[in-house]
Amino acid sequence: MTPDVPSVLSELAQLLMRNAVPGVPDAERASALGLSAMLLGLSAEVWDGAAHNLVAENRALRTLLGLSGQDDDLRLSALRAENERLRALLITAQIEAEASGDAALQDAIWAELRASTERRKLSISLV
Amino acid sequence: MTHPLEPRLAAYIATRMPAASDIAVDALERISGGASRETYRFRLRWREDGAPRERQLILRRDPPASLIDTERRVEFEAYRAFAGSAVPVPEMLWLEEASNALDHPFFIAAELAGFQAAPQMLFSGGYDAVLPKVAERKWTILGEIARADPLALGLDKVMPAPAPGECWRKELAHWEAILDKDEAEPLPIARAAIRWLKANPPPPAQKLSVVHGDYRTGNFLFDAAGEIHGVLDWEMAHLGDPLEDLGWGFNPVWQFGRPGLEGGLVAKAEAIAIWERASGLKADPTALHWWTLFNCVKGQAIWVGSARAFIDGGNKEPIMVYPAWWLLNAQDRAILKVMGKL
Repeated sequence: MTPDVPSVLSELAQLLMRNAVPGVPDAERASALGLSAMLLGLSAEVWDGAAHNLVAENRALRTLLGLSGQDDDLRLSALRAENERLRALLITAQIEAEASGDAALQDAIWAELRASTERRKLSISLV
Repeated sequence: MTHPLEPRLAAYIATRMPAASDIAVDALERISGGASRETYRFRLRWREDGAPRERQLILRRDPPASLIDTERRVEFEAYRAFAGSAVPVPEMLWLEEASNALDHPFFIAAELAGFQAAPQMLFSGGYDAVLPKVAERKWTILGEIARADPLALGLDKVMPAPAPGECWRKELAHWEAILDKDEAEPLPIARAAIRWLKANPPPPAQKLSVVHGDYRTGNFLFDAAGEIHGVLDWEMAHLGDPLEDLGWGFNPVWQFGRPGLEGGLVAKAEAIAIWERASGLKADPTALHWWTLFNCVKGQAIWVGSARAFIDGGNKEPIMVYPAWWLLNAQDRAILKVMGKL
């Protein structure tokens, strides 16, 4: 998710500390805590599957793009950086497939993009 | 407990109400939501002509960084343009574009108290019987906005007036530039949509209209009878193709998880019929499809901007994270849906 979860959790920690002291207006404290709770809940929801989904997606993208390689560094930040590199290459590949009229490749790319939104889908998704 | 903004607000208002004395502000509280402006309600008390007076007001102040960057004068003048018309809006009182009074520019308006805005409330079950009425009012009012003459309203003085054939190009260029500037990760689905939009432009606008820019369920005040009492959040108002607003409301994310119901309210054909009756305009299906997909891209640019404001540190409020986490992927799925890929 963007912004990435660790940076958000870090900010929420500070926000909770600020709201733990007296003097914060009630309505503002309620708003801050309510939103923080929702973000914490979403963080919890994506935690377990985050690495699995990135590895699976990176593998699918490499296959689609005809690239070799694998994810050796399993930190989420490294997996995410590789994912962004591959998705940038996917954009280029899709532009080329559109220009050349390669319908099979276009279909395969759309299928992967559809799958990518399934991997990222949250329980509160509106679509 | 006194909010630190209360005495500063009272001091400012005193400069705008020379005939008043004993001006005081209290009960100031921030209203949840509002990622593009900080919104507060407060009570203003004063004495005038020897009598005590009081009024409930709203303060809309620019935050340090926003999910959308807009001119508060445009928003202020858009509200003022529709005052007293068939488009219900709160009364605008004062606009302050300097930052010395409250650290950031702001405006003050009358509060329309006693009504609801939240979609969660509208779709909680208690309003089911009046949802058709809300839909009728929602798209009738949008039709009135589309029907209005922006030149007669004087809005061409604060908003650029594009040629009818240039409306789509201007808006697409604007939001693509925001995506270019703010994206924190590659967005293959939005980029594919932009390529399609450029390759399949819509016909010229049938007229130049006022475009609210964020006309959706959640941005109007409703009551238990299904009447709408105020259209809010005009910060993205501009002049353009009237189908743009219709298409924004048809962005699938605004169905709020009620598939097949535009705005979570009624089927698309019914919404269009209401709008066409009120506006006197036609919603060409091909053009409306273009504007619906465009608005999915616009939405993505807004959510991306929200994430960017947090990442760059301009605004670390959780309200900047929530739209990005909640909507970035949902908006991608909405694009797929509108393009027939989902």
